[in-house]
Amino acid sequence: MTDIGHLARRTVDHVMRLGPDHCDVLVVDTKHITAEIEKGSMKQASVVADPGAAVRAFSKGCSGFAFCTSHEMKAIKRITSLAVSQAKAGTHDPDFRGLPEKRRPAKVGSLFDRALSELEPHEAVEMAISLATLAGDDKRISSVNAGIGVASGKFALANSNGFCEVEEMTSIDVTAEAVARSRSGMFSGVDYGSSRRIESDMIERVGRNAREHAIMGLKQTRIETGDYPVVIDPLALGYILSVAIGEGANAEGVQRKRSYLAGKLGQSLGVPELTILDDPTIEWASGSYAFDGEGVPSRKKAIIDRGKLATYLYDTYTGGKDSVQSTGNSSRGGPQWSFRLPPSISSSNLVVGEGDASIEEMIAETKRGVYLRTTYDFPNLTTGEFSGLMMESMKIDRGELGPCLRQATIGVSIPDMLSRVDMIGRGSRFAFGVKTPALRISEAKIAGPS
Amino acid sequence: MEDLAEAAIRHALKLGAEFADLRIESANGTNIVVMDGKTKTLLAQQESGCGLRAFIGGAWGFSATNTLTASSLRLAASSAVKMAKVARSKAKIQFSISRMRAVRATEEYRCKEKPSDVSVDEKLSYALSLDKSMSSTDARIASTSSRYDDLEAERVVANSFGTLVRTKERWVLAACSAWSKSEGITQRGHASTGSVGGYELMRGDEAADLGTRAAAQALRLLDAKPVPAGKFTVIIDNDMTGVLAHEAFGHACEADGVLAGSSVVEGRIGQKVAGDEISLIDDPTIGDTFGHFSFDWEGVKANKHVLIEKGILKAYLHNIETSSRMNLPPGGSARSQGHNNVPIIRMSNTYVAPGDMKKDELFEELKRGLLMQGIQYGYVESAKGQFMFKCDEAYEITNGETGQIYRDASISGVILEVLNNVEGLANDFLFGDPGFCGKGGQSARVADGGPHMRVANMVVGGLA
Repeated sequence: MTDIGHLARRTVDHVMRLGPDHCDVLVVDTKHITAEIEKGSMKQASVVADPGAAVRAFSKGCSGFAFCTSHEMKAIKRITSLAVSQAKAGTHDPDFRGLPEKRRPAKVGSLFDRALSELEPHEAVEMAISLATLAGDDKRISSVNAGIGVASGKFALANSNGFCEVEEMTSIDVTAEAVARSRSGMFSGVDYGSSRRIESDMIERVGRNAREHAIMGLKQTRIETGDYPVVIDPLALGYILSVAIGEGANAEGVQRKRSYLAGKLGQSLGVPELTILDDPTIEWASGSYAFDGEGVPSRKKAIIDRGKLATYLYDTYTGGKDSVQSTGNSSRGGPQWSFRLPPSISSSNLVVGEGDASIEEMIAETKRGVYLRTTYDFPNLTTGEFSGLMMESMKIDRGELGPCLRQATIGVSIPDMLSRVDMIGRGSRFAFGVKTPALRISEAKIAGPS
Repeated sequence: MEDLAEAAIRHALKLGAEFADLRIESANGTNIVVMDGKTKTLLAQQESGCGLRAFIGGAWGFSATNTLTASSLRLAASSAVKMAKVARSKAKIQFSISRMRAVRATEEYRCKEKPSDVSVDEKLSYALSLDKSMSSTDARIASTSSRYDDLEAERVVANSFGTLVRTKERWVLAACSAWSKSEGITQRGHASTGSVGGYELMRGDEAADLGTRAAAQALRLLDAKPVPAGKFTVIIDNDMTGVLAHEAFGHACEADGVLAGSSVVEGRIGQKVAGDEISLIDDPTIGDTFGHFSFDWEGVKANKHVLIEKGILKAYLHNIETSSRMNLPPGGSARSQGHNNVPIIRMSNTYVAPGDMKKDELFEELKRGLLMQGIQYGYVESAKGQFMFKCDEAYEITNGETGQIYRDASISGVILEVLNNVEGLANDFLFGDPGFCGKGGQSARVADGGPHMRVANMVVGGLA
């Protein structure tokens, strides 16, 4: 077994002998197990080992990055030379102020679940079958497609300032799609779950939600184009906010004036009751880590604090450019760090502060409106405008949830959406890296085929 | 390499696999990103490994290793068979893989100038020139980004029917994004080009003009208003027609989705699904395109697939599993992103065949509608039968004349309705910009195209 911490330190020494100003090295050893169900039948199980290493070298502020799918020193020396020669080929960048100094990582337990790391393939298969059985438990369900993905990884990050840490992290992703059919058509219900450990209710929740939403979709109606209040389910809200806030607050986009949030620091962005945090310290959350992709200790911070834009998300480069500390948001690519991409700024776990309304109360207090459960559209980060297909949505009529809407779209700018929040839910769930309750906004443009 | 491959396949069969195949891949690549006149990323990729599949009675096992030695491949074969047995023990649906003729072939993509023979300095110089061409266009260009990517890969595909295909693949891609700013409004324009082949593509006029195109679009959009939402007759350009072919119908025709019970076109072969004038094709054999390949990632010779012919659904896209289950010849549409991914059914070059109208005639007959140009992104949910895609820029059409420019317009529709609402097809066929299609967590290079097309009753999403 390779001592990846030792390998990372040794590689840093080797890189620096080639003459760059700074460097960091990531050594990764991960194993992925998947179990996939197709049409209710066990279809495929896999196990993939994916060791690799990445070198990032800096010369006069320019970075060169190279990676290989091996821990052999011969391969690592080759990428070392490539990274250094590329760094020397690039343009001088005086905005680069160096890599993070050696600091102790934050105390974030709960990143590694021994039981998950020791999960046998047949156990993953059993979990997938349980998931599919739950999702298909209704005679109207004609097909269930489902999957379990389990990963366990060991990562060593070292840099030329003496930082060197080794971390172990586990993760599990669960997904289910149930397809319901009737004489009038078909509709699929989907749900997802992710964590760093096996959550006791995850399989049950994902399977049940997929089944129930497939069946709900069989009753369909249309809606006239107009302005409506919209109750936004955590599943849709997570998808929208992961981009609108998670990427919109990326300091690189802001500094280059490409984000709709540029120049808005301290300004109103939402109702005073709205707070959105970036928190990489949440126990067992998929986006949690003790140190970020450059070695900066993780910490919680408010991006929107009581309706005001409070901070952008920084790595060391962009922090140096704005003369602020990195917020510890340099990412190496998700719950399992990847050696294939250079670090980039990303939110960790976004957390929307809870209110006191239940979803039922939000619906009951909406005379004529829309309930948006899923969309896979994202806002235009340059303009902050959001228009997209409501992939699963329901009509709300006289305070009651009605049939699903067919072929309806939603349009609203993100600043308008956040300032039109008039009810904030209680009870949150994670969706697409965002822990959020449901929200109601007073108005959005809904376009339908009628 | 071939000896390693065949030994691993034999080992899998010995351990009980009914069928086994593998992909051994080695790839070198470059990614250069320039932002606002400075290098942002200079990336070199050195990747190699093997992914091996074993099939037993209706279930697959897959294993991958990054070490290309005889012992590690034997271990991968053992793991794949073990996983297949685990899956097989719980599989309800039984089927077998039909024996296919062994394919023995070696192929190297046409290339005048290997990307690996071009220095990183020259590639960087090209990316910097693109960046400069944007920033020097107009003082209102506030930020710029250009990128250059290449990949050279060698892939050996082998299976237990005796197939052994060695492919040397090369592709190049360049893209530009420009952000314009004026009176508090910021807009983005983009342009890209790419194809299988070598660096010679980057020496042509199209590659040199990318920055100018991106900047011009960003400047045009400064005058754009939010699009009015509602139901419109729209004329979509070549790019949008291509994405409509890909998103609105192509994905639903992938046979893995059909067998999974999650496609609205299941059971509709031979049925009318579109107007008489519509033919929809997926063709990886077209050379010098971004979606080109001659042999798929299962070693099957690639074919042109006519999915819809004159409005009638004719075929699905297949891999060896789906063609076996549907008693058809091997399909040749399987691809995997890398050695550590399982091959799945993918589109390649997907297009709507041209019609016989002149482009101007589409406009002349339209009293009120929208012209939609360029593509930001699109997606589909085949089981819900709905799709959506977003254009770069839209224009009001009144009595055949284009007027006000709009931004962020999306169109959505229902798979089984949209191609019946086509009112006219122009004769101006083009492939759009190259792109990558995501499916099952994997990305595949693709191209889409078609003629200008007029479609009635499209739901346009917008803010106004």
